[in-house]
Amino acid sequence: MALENIDNIVLGHNSFFGVNHLSQEQGERTAAKFEQAGPILDMIRFSMERGVRGMMMSTHPRAAMVAEAVRADGRMLDQLNLYPLLPYIAKYVRQSNEKGVVNVIMDQVKGAGIGQTLGLFARGGMAMLRKDVFQILKTLIQMELMPFRGLRMRAVFLHDVLSDLALSLDMRSIFEFYVEEIRDKYEAEPAFATKNLPLMVRRLKDYGIERPLILSHFNQVGFNMNPSQEACERCLVEEDLQIMAMGTLASGYLKPDEAYKYLFGLAKMDSVVVGVSNPSHAEQTFAAIHTQSKSNSEPRQR
Amino acid sequence: MGLLHAGIANGLASAELVAAADTSDVLLNGFKENKPDLATYQDYEKMLNAESLDAVFIASPTHLHVPMAMECVARGLPFFVEKPLGISAQSARPLVDALGEKPVVNMVGYMGRQIDTFRKGKEIVASGALGKLQHLRASMYVAQLFKKGKGWRYDRSKSGGGVLRTQNSHLLDALHWYFGRIASVSGHVKSVYSGTVDDFTHAYFKFESGLTGFMDTSWSIRHYRVPSMSVDVQGECGTLTVTDDEVKMFLDEPRGEYLAGWSRWRKPELYRPVEVDVGGPQYTLHDADFLKSVAAKQPSECNVTSAYHVEQAIDAIYESSDSGGREVVISR
Repeated sequence: MALENIDNIVLGHNSFFGVNHLSQEQGERTAAKFEQAGPILDMIRFSMERGVRGMMMSTHPRAAMVAEAVRADGRMLDQLNLYPLLPYIAKYVRQSNEKGVVNVIMDQVKGAGIGQTLGLFARGGMAMLRKDVFQILKTLIQMELMPFRGLRMRAVFLHDVLSDLALSLDMRSIFEFYVEEIRDKYEAEPAFATKNLPLMVRRLKDYGIERPLILSHFNQVGFNMNPSQEACERCLVEEDLQIMAMGTLASGYLKPDEAYKYLFGLAKMDSVVVGVSNPSHAEQTFAAIHTQSKSNSEPRQR
Repeated sequence: MGLLHAGIANGLASAELVAAADTSDVLLNGFKENKPDLATYQDYEKMLNAESLDAVFIASPTHLHVPMAMECVARGLPFFVEKPLGISAQSARPLVDALGEKPVVNMVGYMGRQIDTFRKGKEIVASGALGKLQHLRASMYVAQLFKKGKGWRYDRSKSGGGVLRTQNSHLLDALHWYFGRIASVSGHVKSVYSGTVDDFTHAYFKFESGLTGFMDTSWSIRHYRVPSMSVDVQGECGTLTVTDDEVKMFLDEPRGEYLAGWSRWRKPELYRPVEVDVGGPQYTLHDADFLKSVAAKQPSECNVTSAYHVEQAIDAIYESSDSGGREVVISR
């Protein structure tokens, strides 16, 4: 399984939705700026004019608003490739603190109002559903991806909170199910986010999932790289995978130039997720990527 | 939390997940379909009786922590129990006594002690670099509850209280870990959204060390996307601020290994990688620490005894609030 022509630069959604893993305060400031779809679309347009065609999109409540605006813009509709990341995990975590993860999921499914369209109730309703974990997952995926209907979905990433849980529990059938569901029903590439790259790639190979597309952390200081920076780097050399890097600035700890120098000095790098919050920052980021990916293009052609 | 610990235990090379007990049919069905080799139970006592286990992770509603842990002590079985320890210090007392008579390795889920920034802060406090400590300002906030809550967490008989016990116990454990025992408290709590338990809490502490200061906490403060802890302490030689994101210190003069002026450590530079990350490295580190204690048959540092003091402090804050903020002394 491999995605042809994966976008080498993918805009991240975190800065638009107030997620800043280094500073909550900074996150809040950026979130306030992007409260409306307008400023987000301006940034997307600005980036597209500079050749960027990919955008990651969590299923944040505000994502529906952005998706709607993309749908209304002819050029974006035609040219912008979306890489959804599901689910919007903070929502689940917060509610799980309150009522437990199973109740959160069941409430979501019940509240979805699409139970009937799936024919669940004809087959025995909630009681039946409670026995069928895959039906629950199908419903959740459908709900989460609803805002992106009709848009160009290249790959759909499973959030690392879920993929790493399934990974640590060694639940092969969850991965097999996800791959089949995303490929068959959404005609997109099933992909996985993880904070345990070497373990994920090894297990997927055991499960028969070849050349997976993986979203994982790569940065000079080894932040969020488990079990070690060295093992993650080695994985790029030894394993057959497509890699999309995230967390390349270690949540703003690193400067773009040094960060991308490290990134493009690695054995391979198919794609990178970048956070952009204003035009000058975006310009600087794209320039650093172009410079570093070019200057390192020799060793990468192996 | 049960799923999280199950994942970590299964993911660590030093442990193997062999059985799980939960009352949820959805969860058990999920396990049966996806992990058929795992023994599943709806009744935890049946599991304890039937399985030969080396250690147990308890992640039930709060009111069941102590009874479940007591079952483990009775069987000489090491246990990890989620925080808070119980619904009151009084309810947890039998567990403390039982462990006194029959010690088994135990740990309480205050994983904040494994957050890299908070560990760095502990190192600085323990070094004495700040000199005699004068004043503490601490807080823990999250934007979680803005309408009447549903479920056991809002039933005082099952949760033992609101934000103070459920969530802020993390901060209290950190303060106890940093600064030692609390001698007395004055507190005020207020319910706004939940309707049944405290949503806002403010407390003033006198530590046995002589340090004094306050703590403010709520789960109904807007804009805090994730729970955020902050500890700010001033000593005669400088100041220290510890948050989930960074550690900042100011010293008038160089002290030991620390330089004069501002020093700053940010999360990425303090990061310690883990064998497997499921929901945050601090959980893995905490669980691995427990399993290490079990293997070595050595008591862990973050245990029932230390968690009991947190329960005492929480009870004292509620008691003080009930009496209009009167100072309540915590017994030894």
